[in-house]
Amino acid sequence: MEEAAVREAPALRERLAALVAWASDGTVTAAEALAATVPLSALGVTSLAQMRLIDAVEREFGIEFDFSDGEVDVLNDLGALERRITGAV
Amino acid sequence: MDVRSPEGMDARSGGTVEARFSGGRSGTAPLTWGQRAIWDAVRKTAPDDRYFNFGQILPVPGRARPLTPERAAAALGSLVERHESLRTRLGPADPDRAQADQAQAEQAQAEQAQAEQAQADQAQAERVRPYRPLEDPEPQQVLEGSGTLTVTVTTGDPERLLDELTATAFDYAAEWPLRAGLVVDGDEVTHLVLAFCHLAADGMGAEVALRDLRLLLTRGAVPGPVPPRPLDLARWQESEPGQRVARMAAEHWEQEYRRIPPTMFDRPSGEAASPPVWRAKIVSRAMDLAAQRIAALHSTSTSTVLLAFSSSLVTEVTGHEVCAMLPIVGNRFRGDTVNAVTTLSQEGLFVLEAGHEDVAALLRAAKPAALRAYRSAYHDPRDRDRLTAEISRSRGTAVHPYCCFNDMRFTDRADATHDEATVRRALAETELTWPLQQDKLNCRFCLHLTAEPGGLGVSVTADTRFLSRPAMERYLLDLESALVAAAFAGAPELVG
Repeated sequence: MEEAAVREAPALRERLAALVAWASDGTVTAAEALAATVPLSALGVTSLAQMRLIDAVEREFGIEFDFSDGEVDVLNDLGALERRITGAV
Repeated sequence: MDVRSPEGMDARSGGTVEARFSGGRSGTAPLTWGQRAIWDAVRKTAPDDRYFNFGQILPVPGRARPLTPERAAAALGSLVERHESLRTRLGPADPDRAQADQAQAEQAQAEQAQAEQAQADQAQAERVRPYRPLEDPEPQQVLEGSGTLTVTVTTGDPERLLDELTATAFDYAAEWPLRAGLVVDGDEVTHLVLAFCHLAADGMGAEVALRDLRLLLTRGAVPGPVPPRPLDLARWQESEPGQRVARMAAEHWEQEYRRIPPTMFDRPSGEAASPPVWRAKIVSRAMDLAAQRIAALHSTSTSTVLLAFSSSLVTEVTGHEVCAMLPIVGNRFRGDTVNAVTTLSQEGLFVLEAGHEDVAALLRAAKPAALRAYRSAYHDPRDRDRLTAEISRSRGTAVHPYCCFNDMRFTDRADATHDEATVRRALAETELTWPLQQDKLNCRFCLHLTAEPGGLGVSVTADTRFLSRPAMERYLLDLESALVAAAFAGAPELVG
């Protein structure tokens, strides 16, 4: 199931999953991030890893997080993060 | 190095060996943001600034045995060559002052050579005023390309050697910012002991240094590129990208400093102790398990859980509507700074309203507040000083929370499976001690988290003029009770 998720994932989501794996030092693999049905934090993405993810996403995609109350949820969901980057939210 | 070596030291070396390093670059630069922050804290805490010393003990890995003191010293020399922060000291930033000091010193040396009487030497020494870094709020970092580190060699307990190496404050201008010792058994080194000046490394940086030392002992080299060094960091921080990061952080400090209570512990306790600063510490397995369960149930980390609950309890104790707490943040979020051996840790600003109706609401508010705090930690202390002065003037009172939070653990585990009976039974194991007392501290309330063999270590180091010793003890036990109660009261279904 995880392999199928990897194959079908769009390129941006795959890239974000790779960043999650990097930010969490492999605690959460890219495949696990892509297949996640629970918040990434429930898989083991700590607040330190979240900060690393934010920094990497900001630098790579030229966006800035404002850390409003709703934005934490974006960090817990690859789909939401993808929409945040493409401007869909 | 002022270290008394106990009896039984290695007779061949006379109690010391020399770790030489050479071939590196030298140079000067302004302090990095992290160095500036710790320097400010050191100056405010002096003469009790030994408070900031800390260390690490490395048992010699099996693959490196048998290890002679000479080979250990060579590895230490390589470590100092690799990490420039370990051969960086402080000097005066003002070139005129530096030149004047140099000229004065040279003249003194020349005169001294000519002097024939001890009395004349004495008069000479009194005329030359050495550079006193603690009097300098704006020193610069001075990197040396080569030098020699004197390494203590002794027998006995490595912990005792570490205590000795960390017992006195560093001489920030004259002494290397690393003190090292070897524990020997016969001709063989069993432990390497490192004591760090906090200007050279923070806890994470020291971990990296220790890991590299281990590699130097077992493989003779450290693979991979050298991580950014303080000189490089200082230059990046002064560049446009660095200034953009600083501006974003400064906006947060400015916005929150306009509304937070000027200081958190603002009422005299009426029960000042002597000396005024004390530390109360509990080691609690119950609190560890409860925090893990809450973190898992609410999809967050134990660090955020403990920050949220600690802040919430501060509002209860102080009666303020808002808690402002300064978490010490590692600032190793950028890929290239992860392995830097330097002080990157700085205070962030965590602001949380009081009066959340339940744990879920508390953590819903705490999560984004924690991220805002973490981002604000990578800031230029000069911006913060300027904003603090401006806002204090406009509010008509000095603004500083004097309330900080330092999670010194290296791992963070969430686990919802701990059952209530086990956690409540563990409450009986909790022990409270008073491990530290001193005269001076640049804060009124410092909460430290450590991983201990018996559970979570939670200490409060407080100024008893504002929080009495009984109140410190009550705070810790109330924090434990609140977490245990929250772990099992009205908990939501486990996600997933």
